[in-house]
Amino acid sequence: MLEERNEWMVKELEQLFEQVGFDEKALIKAAQTVILEQDKRIWQMEGELDGTLWSPKNWYD
Amino acid sequence: MKTLLIISHPSILESSSQQFLLSAVPQTEQVTVNHLEAAYPDGKIDVEREQQLLKDNDRVIFQFPFYWYSSPAFLKQWQDEVLTEGFAHGGAQGELAGKEFGLIFMLGVHEREYQAGGRELYTISELTKPFQAMAHKTGMVYLKPLTVFQFAYMTDEEKMDLFIEYQRMLTNKNDDSLASKEKWIVNQLRLLKSADIDEAGENIINHAVELIEENRMNINELTKVIEEMY
Repeated sequence: MLEERNEWMVKELEQLFEQVGFDEKALIKAAQTVILEQDKRIWQMEGELDGTLWSPKNWYD
Repeated sequence: MKTLLIISHPSILESSSQQFLLSAVPQTEQVTVNHLEAAYPDGKIDVEREQQLLKDNDRVIFQFPFYWYSSPAFLKQWQDEVLTEGFAHGGAQGELAGKEFGLIFMLGVHEREYQAGGRELYTISELTKPFQAMAHKTGMVYLKPLTVFQFAYMTDEEKMDLFIEYQRMLTNKNDDSLASKEKWIVNQLRLLKSADIDEAGENIINHAVELIEENRMNINELTKVIEEMY
């Protein structure tokens, strides 16, 4: 699931996408893709962090 | 970084893919377009001018349609006449050493055919070996090529992605990381000027820039924490 602010931004950009010409659309689409990729990286790293913190092998260090 | 875009196409006005890419060339002094057939309609290449253009730029791109697994003949002639011994290679380091070299080319066949078992049998990396060897001999760094397969069948969305990839190949540093893409996109968003974008639209753009930068800070912090845990 997307982080709330990222999800909101992607939707805002979608609205702007509908108003502009091809060149601007291309850039707006690329910005959306970057935000979605960032969101995925953050989600994956937070997951990795949670997994590591809860790993039993770290309980006895 | 300055880029020299050398285009070879004998009938560029009739090529929809070439016209599309020409419309995507960023309007900046950083990019110089040199269409060989237009510059030399009589086929006589001004070698001195071409060599000076090469000297003046940091990245050299060949853009062409893929004819019989290579470039159009005029680009080969250009190589033969311009990349002379003493200038591009031979003796001490040539004038091109340390520059970057890349290919942008269009193909009429589907991408999946360029592999063992495919109709074309060989991969793009295999078929472009002479260009790789040229970059190697002249001391240039060979960039990953931008290949455009079957432009006529591309959807609008695919063309938008191509538009951005093309601009990045002409103006971004040789770095495919997400961080590098973000930086490039942020710069482009900051430069974006359009009659179609009102004040509300500008606010959205500014917010997007801020959010991309905040996300990056977040990613960097998380990377640091994770690294420290191991």
